[in-house]
Amino acid sequence: MRITVECYGASARWCGSDAITLDLATGATGNDALDALADRFPDFAARRSNVAIASGDAIASPTAPLADGDVIALIPPVSAG
Amino acid sequence: MSELRSRPRLRDGALNLADWLAEPQPATAGALNVFAGTVRNTHEGHAVGSMTYHAHRALAEARLREIEAAAEARFGVSALVAHAVGKLEIGEISVIVVIRGGHRAEGFEACRWTIDAIKSAVPIWKEEHYLDGEARFLEGVPIQPVESL
Repeated sequence: MRITVECYGASARWCGSDAITLDLATGATGNDALDALADRFPDFAARRSNVAIASGDAIASPTAPLADGDVIALIPPVSAG
Repeated sequence: MSELRSRPRLRDGALNLADWLAEPQPATAGALNVFAGTVRNTHEGHAVGSMTYHAHRALAEARLREIEAAAEARFGVSALVAHAVGKLEIGEISVIVVIRGGHRAEGFEACRWTIDAIKSAVPIWKEEHYLDGEARFLEGVPIQPVESL
């Protein structure tokens, strides 16, 4: 299946793009998507443990299964204010 | 719901403080506490020329409203917040917290809690632009759920 990962904040720098397409096995989870990104982008791998995943207007569980066509967002450490 | 309450809390460009003070003070309130964050011209020894605020818009809007509701439930006050997105110049307002409550004690406490909650639970990222031409995102903190604050 194919999903899209939107990269917010500094995660766009770590991954070299604002959005990345990943081809994952059926039943893959958010954690699997993060693993795939970590394999491709060393700068992301070094910071992965502090990155959350969002779907729509909510934080998503990294253990929830994804579906073909899903769009998820990387939420790196925040700095509002 | 007032016209002000129906507005998005995430706004493009610098905020105007007067816009967010337009609601009438409740008759039962004896305190109006306001915090406004502005863009500073220096950070950790770097001369800052401007700041760009990036956001995950859908989640940030939901979180700002969730923080208002949490502040109202926790402190028994009226809370209104707003945050800017986009490029701001030095001195411009990036975030506003307006608290209206019975007394100053809960007003100050609610105001402090609310701005701290915004800083740790809203997906917004500061990108500083330095006078030497460099730019970088600030380090930040891992995003927290509002109910944990």
